[in-house]
Amino acid sequence: MELYALLKLIWAALLCILFIGLGLMVGMDMGVGTLLRFVGRNDGERRTALNIIGPHWDGNQVWFILGGGAIFAAFPTLYATSFSVFYVVMILLLFSMILRPVAFEYRSKADSTLWRASWDWVFLISGFLPMFIYGAAFGNILEGVGYHFGWNGQYYQDSSFLSYLLNPFVILCGLMSVSLSVYQGGVMLMMRSENPIYSRARTYAQRGGLLAIVLFAIGGLFISRMKGFVLTAPVDPAMPANPLHGQHVAQLAGGWLHNYAAHPFLWLLPVLGFASMTLSVLAVRAQKAILAWWSGLGCWIGTIGTVAAAMFPFLMPSTTAPDQSLSIWNSTASAYGLTCMLVVALIFVPIILCYTSWCYYVMRGKVRTADIIHDSHSY
Amino acid sequence: MDLINPTVVDLSRFQFALTALYHFMFVPLTLGLTFMLAAMETVYVVTGRKIYKEMAQFWGKLFGINFAIGVATGITMEFEFGTNWSMYSRFFGDMFGTPLAIEGLMAFFMESTFVGLMFFGWDRLSKQAHLAVTYLVALGSNLSALWILIANASMNVPEGAHFDPDTMRMQFDSFVHVVFNPDAQSKFVHTSVAGYVSAALFVMGISAFYILRGQHKQFAARSFRMAALFGIISTVAVITLGDVLGRMDYEKQPTKIAAIEGLWHTSKPPYEPWILAALPDDAKQENHFEIGVPFVLTPLITHDFNTPITGLHELEDAAGPRIQSGIEAVSALRRYGETHQQADLDVFQAHEADMGFGFLATRHAPGQDVTTLSAEALPQVIEATKPDILPNVFVTFWAFRLMVFLALYFFALFAISSYVSLKNRLERNRLLLRLCLWSIPLPILATEFGWITAEAGRQPWTVFNRLPTFLSASTHSVSYMLFSLAGFAVLYSIFIAAELYLMFKFARLGPEAHDTPQTAPDHLHLGGAASTPAAAH
Amino acid sequence: MSLLRMAGLAIVLVISLLFAVFVGDQGPWYFSWVIGTVMIILISGAGAILLDAQMDSSSEKEV
Repeated sequence: MELYALLKLIWAALLCILFIGLGLMVGMDMGVGTLLRFVGRNDGERRTALNIIGPHWDGNQVWFILGGGAIFAAFPTLYATSFSVFYVVMILLLFSMILRPVAFEYRSKADSTLWRASWDWVFLISGFLPMFIYGAAFGNILEGVGYHFGWNGQYYQDSSFLSYLLNPFVILCGLMSVSLSVYQGGVMLMMRSENPIYSRARTYAQRGGLLAIVLFAIGGLFISRMKGFVLTAPVDPAMPANPLHGQHVAQLAGGWLHNYAAHPFLWLLPVLGFASMTLSVLAVRAQKAILAWWSGLGCWIGTIGTVAAAMFPFLMPSTTAPDQSLSIWNSTASAYGLTCMLVVALIFVPIILCYTSWCYYVMRGKVRTADIIHDSHSY
Repeated sequence: MDLINPTVVDLSRFQFALTALYHFMFVPLTLGLTFMLAAMETVYVVTGRKIYKEMAQFWGKLFGINFAIGVATGITMEFEFGTNWSMYSRFFGDMFGTPLAIEGLMAFFMESTFVGLMFFGWDRLSKQAHLAVTYLVALGSNLSALWILIANASMNVPEGAHFDPDTMRMQFDSFVHVVFNPDAQSKFVHTSVAGYVSAALFVMGISAFYILRGQHKQFAARSFRMAALFGIISTVAVITLGDVLGRMDYEKQPTKIAAIEGLWHTSKPPYEPWILAALPDDAKQENHFEIGVPFVLTPLITHDFNTPITGLHELEDAAGPRIQSGIEAVSALRRYGETHQQADLDVFQAHEADMGFGFLATRHAPGQDVTTLSAEALPQVIEATKPDILPNVFVTFWAFRLMVFLALYFFALFAISSYVSLKNRLERNRLLLRLCLWSIPLPILATEFGWITAEAGRQPWTVFNRLPTFLSASTHSVSYMLFSLAGFAVLYSIFIAAELYLMFKFARLGPEAHDTPQTAPDHLHLGGAASTPAAAH
Repeated sequence: MSLLRMAGLAIVLVISLLFAVFVGDQGPWYFSWVIGTVMIILISGAGAILLDAQMDSSSEKEV
């Protein structure tokens, strides 16, 4: 296999890992944000919940920024097209995302009840909406998106943003992602809080996990009947990364199951998803928070892996110009760019993991409401 | 092919300028305050005097208020390249995305992870470990600026990349060229140190406020002294690097330097004056009046006395042949894209260097398509395109001048403040203290003017001489643009109101109040389930 | 332990030297930024310590 094709594959794999990491870590913080108003019934409890993720939310949010940056660098055409095609949705996501850092930093810095209650609503919105859109985006790309390219590579949009939001399958995917995030947020709260937050978080984590199982099953049924995309002629994986040429694509009912039919071992991914979700719910019931946290990782691997296996090699298929569908072969950066990014990632990702773990280690232990109130540094 | 709507392009530009300028109100303070905090904490660790820890903590709190919005509005910038500048991102993403991604991996991660420890780790880390964390936050935020400016420099001086006709985009081919791009180097140091100036004046101004009120004397005197010294050296560095950047533009972006200096005609060394004030008229292409200092311009820009600097008229005339050649490049590129014939590729490669000028002409061609241009229409299109190669002279000229005048003012202010502080005569110089207090927003203003100079001066290009701005925007409808613009206006107004409220609140409270633990007021008592309306669940 | 510390110091020195040689050559302004920032921090810190000394020597003197 040519080096360029290999680089494209590696980056597609890294993209998957990034999406999983993003779902897990950012989802966890967003879940705490969504649950904030429900697990904390007074100001002290809410501050406790916030301070559990307080030292880490910023670092976690960088996974999200990094997700954008990595797509920009490694899949510039995908970045350029998807962000513009989903304009209104992306702007909504952006608005809810930029409210979060401000909410964290500002909420507890003034004493007014109205001030704090308003920021608590901001936490709910900025926890729920980004995760909903995150899931919904997967729903949209599975269904295909309406766009085509002009001769010089400018994209043109062929369908309205409403079709990307008001659509049962897309809403289902959005809720699926929210329920996993609520689950993970609940588990994080369980790990580092005491009653009454602990028991409330446990209830919500359990509900989140159960809902995820149901939605995953329904989603699977949808996908199996959906008009998926398939390559009608083999492509050259090492082709120049240009969606205008070299690809022939058809849209067929059940097309997303072709990869599963060709490689039955891929069925392990949805099985992993279901198994992890079941384990998650059981672990929460048994009050094994640490097991539950790691089992949340399995849930994300299972779900994102299932989608990735169904879509390979497509990244964002086009319904109006299927031949111009973006795939991992035609929307990556140059071989040189991919190599550079790979080297940089190989150096820095281990360093990041080291200091992130050290940070968790330093801030370990249960967060107590009484301590928060007397610590002027806390959120 | 759908036509490009100029209104959408203008709205995209307006939105980008608005969000970038807004983001850049908070970034300079972050860049500088982190190192100031590190300096204060260093003194604490070295001398063991508690007052320096209080200083680091108090200014750290103000830093935190500022930092949150800096992070939040930075996310916007990352989104906007994709949401509003699709063609640009696709055309230049291979090159531009890499520094952005490295910024995330190398700098932003470090900054964001350690900022949590910096705020929360005072009691959990040893003195030395906490100091190291503070330095890492400072280094992280400045490295972040480094990579962003490397990316920005690659738009201004696109080195280390070539155009690839098979993928219809610029492809990255030299990491070292991109990182050590001379424009990136001087831009980074200029911007980072401008941040130091902003932070120094911020700390100095608020300390002056305490001294004026006779509050927190020990605390304020020390903060003032450190800030004044921090500021004076930084201001010198900013001015030096500004000079370096000017020379860089003279070599690589002649249109920018001519616009900055309001130079309509090629200069006559050595007596060509440096214009202090003028009223450039972009429509008539002349200055309405000029006040200048003779013999200054040539040595200022070229560092010698006899090299002429090309004027805007001359640059415009020289663009004619490049536009014609560019139109041939674009036509050949399109043919090659459809047929993949070697003959077309050869034609393209002969004219490749001028391709950007061909794209620039699209706006004036019938149907916005230069590839089907008739021979009769060609001269007319070239004439219409020529003035397009010039940036807006009025804006560039004045943004630059205001920035320079402010920098000179800061130099004087920091010099006098340092002297008075070293002589311990601050309390007797109330006018100086008031001046310091009221000057707090000025460095922010100066950095904004700096951004305007650099980016307005780069027009009409997003990628200098390669991709015009009006071709770079996404093909949205006007209603989409208005939706996002309205959203930004509302959100950003709320942000600035909240930020100013908290800044004033904590600055007024001062360091002592910060040290006593925050107690919840009565209506927020612990466990009072019915006390907050939000408990209704 | 002291040997370990020495080794650590030596590594830091070698890295700084390599940085100085390579970056000083390829990116003189980057290098000057590092040196300049260190200098700015040290001078402003020294100013504060000088203030402490001034205060200590004449406690009656006003700020």
